[in-house]
Amino acid sequence: MGKEETEKATALGDIRVLDLAGPAGVYGTKLLADLGADVIRVEPPGGDLMRSLGPFVDDDPHLEKSLYFFHFNTNKRGITLNLDTPDGQEIFKSLVKTADVLVETFPPGYMDSLGLGYEDLKTVNPKLIMASVTGFGQTGPYKDFKSYDIVGVATGGLMYLGGFMGEPPNYTGGFQGYHLAGSDVVSGILVALYHRDLTGEGQYVDVSMQQSVAMGIEAAMTYYDASKRIRRRTGRQVYRGWNEVFPCKDGYVMCGPLGGASWRKLLEWMDSEGMAADLKEEKYTFVLQIMVDRQMDRQVTSERKDPRQLAEYPEEIAYIEQVWEDFLMTHTREELYEECQKLGIRLMPINSARDLLEDPHLQQRSFFTDVAHPELGKTFKYQGPPYRLYGTPWRIKKRAPLIGEHNREIYIEELRFSKEQLVALKQGGVI
Amino acid sequence: MSQGKLPLRGIRIVDFYWVAAGPRSSRVFANLGAEVIKMESIARLDLSRGRPPFRKGTTGINAGLGFNNGSVDKLSATLNMSRPEAREIAKKLIAISDVVTDNYTPHVMDNWGLGYDELVKIKPDIIQISMPVMGKEGPRSHYGGYGMGITAASGINYLTGRPDRAPVGTGIAYSDAGPNPRHATIALLAALHYRNVTGKGQFIEIPQNESTICYTGTAILDYAVNGRLQRGMSNHSPYACPHAAYRCKGDDRWCVIAVFNQEEWLAFCDVIGNPEWVWDSRFATCLSRKESEEELDQLIEEWTQERTPEEVMMQMQLGGVAAGIVQDGADLLDRDHQLRAREQYVTLDHPEIGVCHVDNVPFRLSETPGQVRHHAPLLGQDNDYVYRELLGMSEEEMDRLIVEEIIY
Repeated sequence: MGKEETEKATALGDIRVLDLAGPAGVYGTKLLADLGADVIRVEPPGGDLMRSLGPFVDDDPHLEKSLYFFHFNTNKRGITLNLDTPDGQEIFKSLVKTADVLVETFPPGYMDSLGLGYEDLKTVNPKLIMASVTGFGQTGPYKDFKSYDIVGVATGGLMYLGGFMGEPPNYTGGFQGYHLAGSDVVSGILVALYHRDLTGEGQYVDVSMQQSVAMGIEAAMTYYDASKRIRRRTGRQVYRGWNEVFPCKDGYVMCGPLGGASWRKLLEWMDSEGMAADLKEEKYTFVLQIMVDRQMDRQVTSERKDPRQLAEYPEEIAYIEQVWEDFLMTHTREELYEECQKLGIRLMPINSARDLLEDPHLQQRSFFTDVAHPELGKTFKYQGPPYRLYGTPWRIKKRAPLIGEHNREIYIEELRFSKEQLVALKQGGVI
Repeated sequence: MSQGKLPLRGIRIVDFYWVAAGPRSSRVFANLGAEVIKMESIARLDLSRGRPPFRKGTTGINAGLGFNNGSVDKLSATLNMSRPEAREIAKKLIAISDVVTDNYTPHVMDNWGLGYDELVKIKPDIIQISMPVMGKEGPRSHYGGYGMGITAASGINYLTGRPDRAPVGTGIAYSDAGPNPRHATIALLAALHYRNVTGKGQFIEIPQNESTICYTGTAILDYAVNGRLQRGMSNHSPYACPHAAYRCKGDDRWCVIAVFNQEEWLAFCDVIGNPEWVWDSRFATCLSRKESEEELDQLIEEWTQERTPEEVMMQMQLGGVAAGIVQDGADLLDRDHQLRAREQYVTLDHPEIGVCHVDNVPFRLSETPGQVRHHAPLLGQDNDYVYRELLGMSEEEMDRLIVEEIIY
């Protein structure tokens, strides 16, 4: 990386973050680090529990090979520190003096019990912004309840909405609870930072994963608030007439039957390939229009087209769907996606991680970054950024830290411990 | 939470966000005190204004509960951007503002003369933020898209549900509600901090599909490094067992239970009364439990089916086991004690909807928590404030613009 690159401005380069976060907050501290903040991951001696989470490089369950740890700790420095010891707590307070932000995800009251709660740390550094992420928040009857991502996703109302009736609701993959909460804590921290820019005042940020999920769902609560009706999961027909999931030659696509509103254009395409069968006959085009109108009417007038009308044509609907699905099986997702874009039809492919890595659009946009892991002798492709700040670009400068990798940098060079003291601290289980 | 201080007071946002993903971001700024002026037009109405859900007997462009929730605390000014004179008026407004937002397709703002290169001439420290579906550049940058499709294309659907079923995903336009407004909020706040420190603004792009892909955890890295394609695992987890949703007493009622280590397993066994089968070799260790996961789920469900999800959750939690009701809309709004204690839903009175509920601010700040104060604006309700007070137009000038359908 050239000198010019390393000196590029970052949005948060003037901020230091002490990172005690577990899975519920670590996406947030990653975002802060990737925007240029000096994020110091503080791990227990011997390393963080997250290092035991897979997947692992080559499925080798080694503490320095956790892809989970790698992914969520890009750009950070790492030190070890035992907060259960009085020495550790004092050292931590010295670090707090130098820090702007602290993020933690311990059960409510734990940091207080160590003498490291917000009230304690505020006296050490009045400008500190301390942020806590927990399953249910710092207050309320559930505050001491145990939570994992699935509990957040369920109690926040997202899980109920996905999947097929008659089967359990779908747990959304990819740790949506942790991502939503991790994002909200960053927003809260940055609002506090803005306020501090103007007033010099620090403060405390309290994020509940349940609430973050509740705010990451579209309309389940308002649906009920409007008419006391429960929004339920609808399987393949996510919005009938507008969004369904259909199999095709090499996977699945999402669109309305025959593309939805612009079905005539798609029917022409099918016809040009001899795949339209009898669909151009009026008895089928009539029903197709009802299928689409039903959704469109809801959009425009909010009146529900009488659903019994569709129920009068089960054979026609079955025939339409059969011909449509036969056509889809002759085309790949890419072919359908490209052609439908040209026709102005809403159709999108359902992608896997492989599809994304192979997507020429994402590659050309440099959405993937090569990050070197010298100890492993390898370079891996990481994802990101979620945003492009043209003046202060997001960047992955370095891989996640090794255990205690920056102990010397922080303890000796910055906090001025001697080498002998560092050894004593290590032997005493403090670092 | 009563009179919260408003930390973003003094920031003015000219807000061209519409429909879903964008407005949910600018809403947060409004709750925290920023003056968010939603720029709308009768000529090109925000689609979410006309969308259900509605209260029975109401309809129209102001009465949608979804729109209301998405735009509380914002102002509304109408401006018909298809007219050249409107664009000049927009520039005057931008000259006295801090931020300009939009989630149109790329080049709409450029074509209106409101691209970053133009805006910077009017206001050198302007921050402009845009949310193109596929990004501003690249072979697919001209592609259209929409929330549910973007979520499907991001890889989230593939990671969700039973691997032998169609990947139907979340059932909602999740990218609009989850990752995209959040990344937009974060990017804008980071840029505002940078401007506080340096005086410099900038252009920000939130490519909606890339932003959503960033919510897929280790899926991409796992494939890039190991060649392994992560897939939906029903409701199971590679890290935990048991880990699933279990049917409970009642109509379509479920509770999730998650056990991540031996200590939690023993606690779980205690809660269900240590029945005979927990001593079976099939379930004694975490490896054996994983191998017999389907049988384990069935046995657990025999226990949960006799109890309501509330009973399951409470008994498990009091016993030290992670569990949670799979909540529906009625649970969230009417029954959940925790959300009530946390004041998740704020009651507002809306002139057309009546009394309704909206989400609160997404985080609790101790000194400057912000506050949800007003229902979403009626269309154009703040035209007088924006055009007469902020831009100093005379009554005659404003009347002319109304008649000519520029303020429209």
